[in-house]
Amino acid sequence: MINKEPLITRKQELPLKDDSTGLFLKIMISIAVFLFAVTLAGVLSINSMLNAWNNSILGSLTIQIMPVNNANQEKAREETLLQQDKVLEFLKTLPEVEKARALNDNQLQQLLQPWLGDGIDISSLPTPRILDIKIKPGAKIDFPALAERLAEVSPLASLDNHKLWLDKLIRFADGLKMLALSILVLVIAITSGAIFYTTQTNLGLHRNIIEILHIMGAKDTYVAQQYAKRDAMLGFIGGIFGLVLAIPTIFMIAGLAEQIEGGIISEARLSWESWLMILLLPFFSSVTAMITAYYTVKRTLEKMM
Amino acid sequence: MLRNSVIGEPAIIEMKGVGIRYDKGPEVLSDINLSLKRGSFHFLTGKSGAGKTSLLSLMYLAQKPSRGVLNVFGSNVSFTNRDNLALIRRRIGVVFQDFRLLEHLSAFDNVALPLRVCGMNEKEVKKRVRELLQWVELDKHMTDKASTLSGGEKQRIAIARAVINRPDILLADEPTGNVDSDIARKLMKLFIELNKLGTTVVIATHSEKLITDFHYPRLHLNDGGLRIYQPNEGLFRGAGI
Repeated sequence: MINKEPLITRKQELPLKDDSTGLFLKIMISIAVFLFAVTLAGVLSINSMLNAWNNSILGSLTIQIMPVNNANQEKAREETLLQQDKVLEFLKTLPEVEKARALNDNQLQQLLQPWLGDGIDISSLPTPRILDIKIKPGAKIDFPALAERLAEVSPLASLDNHKLWLDKLIRFADGLKMLALSILVLVIAITSGAIFYTTQTNLGLHRNIIEILHIMGAKDTYVAQQYAKRDAMLGFIGGIFGLVLAIPTIFMIAGLAEQIEGGIISEARLSWESWLMILLLPFFSSVTAMITAYYTVKRTLEKMM
Repeated sequence: MLRNSVIGEPAIIEMKGVGIRYDKGPEVLSDINLSLKRGSFHFLTGKSGAGKTSLLSLMYLAQKPSRGVLNVFGSNVSFTNRDNLALIRRRIGVVFQDFRLLEHLSAFDNVALPLRVCGMNEKEVKKRVRELLQWVELDKHMTDKASTLSGGEKQRIAIARAVINRPDILLADEPTGNVDSDIARKLMKLFIELNKLGTTVVIATHSEKLITDFHYPRLHLNDGGLRIYQPNEGLFRGAGI
């Protein structure tokens, strides 16, 4: 006769799997990871935008040549272009300058289009000429000295190193970044708080079982590990749900940002390192949930029993 | 280390002037002085509400005394940290009057509990639990949930859980209350065998038959105080055991 052994499978002493608080935590963590992922994508995008802007400050400058005053428009335009060529020739002699080019009429028209509208013939207007100068990487320019020399070459030329308005923009972006970072901290704090209070409630619900475990000789860590294991799993599953919702949202926001004209926001791109950080969020939420649960149980048991 | 009055014999549990009260109520137990030697066997008697369960709960470290000194295995429990208290509890087996099984677990998992909290490997756990379940004649109910077992079966599971770890002290609160006389006799034989192997045994009971059939000294609680009787001493009808 074959003696059939019953199948023994170990069941956790604390019935945490069947717990209603588990579903609440899963939803809570999903929302937290969703908010975290979208905000993190924002922070990382602002970072890349700030880097790009900083590089553009360091790497470029603009020179404006005011139009010559002359009743004859054609002649005034020719004289202005002559001044432009003189300045360009001068710029090419500078060792710090990598490239200097003048914006053509089409480019000027595009630049002025938000103010003047479509269908304006720019050649018929006394508009300034713009020179876009690219500076060699690492080269340092003495702006006041350059401005003086420019004035000698052409009294109509003036230097604009973008710094003033970009500085303001960078300060604004920095503020946004701090705000986003505060939101990230807030999301972590709220999630940890929710785990803390849910775990405390749950410990109260299972007080009798925990008492038995203690009497049998279980240390607080034995109980804490069961909660930590459960919450690590909830944190991971919740994190995956949150991430699945966040990725299309990030793409949608990026798509909207790209539609903004002026190319300022289009600098805000996520690198592969940034995407990796976002994709690792479920692991982060899992570890956060695990650590919070573990220490909550340890602390509560010390007070409770 | 505190010693019992008998020179050379260490007290496994020692109480000096112990009192216990719940919240701000009156003392349930007052001025308890007790010294249990290693390998001793005692019945614990007293009327309902005399404090038997409270005294046992002090012994298995479910609570600390409100006053006085309680030493278990030489450690003053008031000054022992939580981790060390857990290690002391592993040397104590407890059978509760209401069994206190984990109802959602199988009979097997309930008996395995003390071994698992100690971190014993599953192979050894399975071997020991199977053996013991066979001994209490519940091997056929190994995978049954505790909630589906009868009162007598639960009692046997509770006893198996208390002795699986081969404890140094066995504390039992009415262990034979829910079983028939055959099983009761068999369980008493188990307790006596364990005692012969060196386990200190304290059994709280109301059964006069048990006390007269088995000749062991008796710790008797009355009005919050404790008195020790030798076998068959002080037994009379209405004594309220």
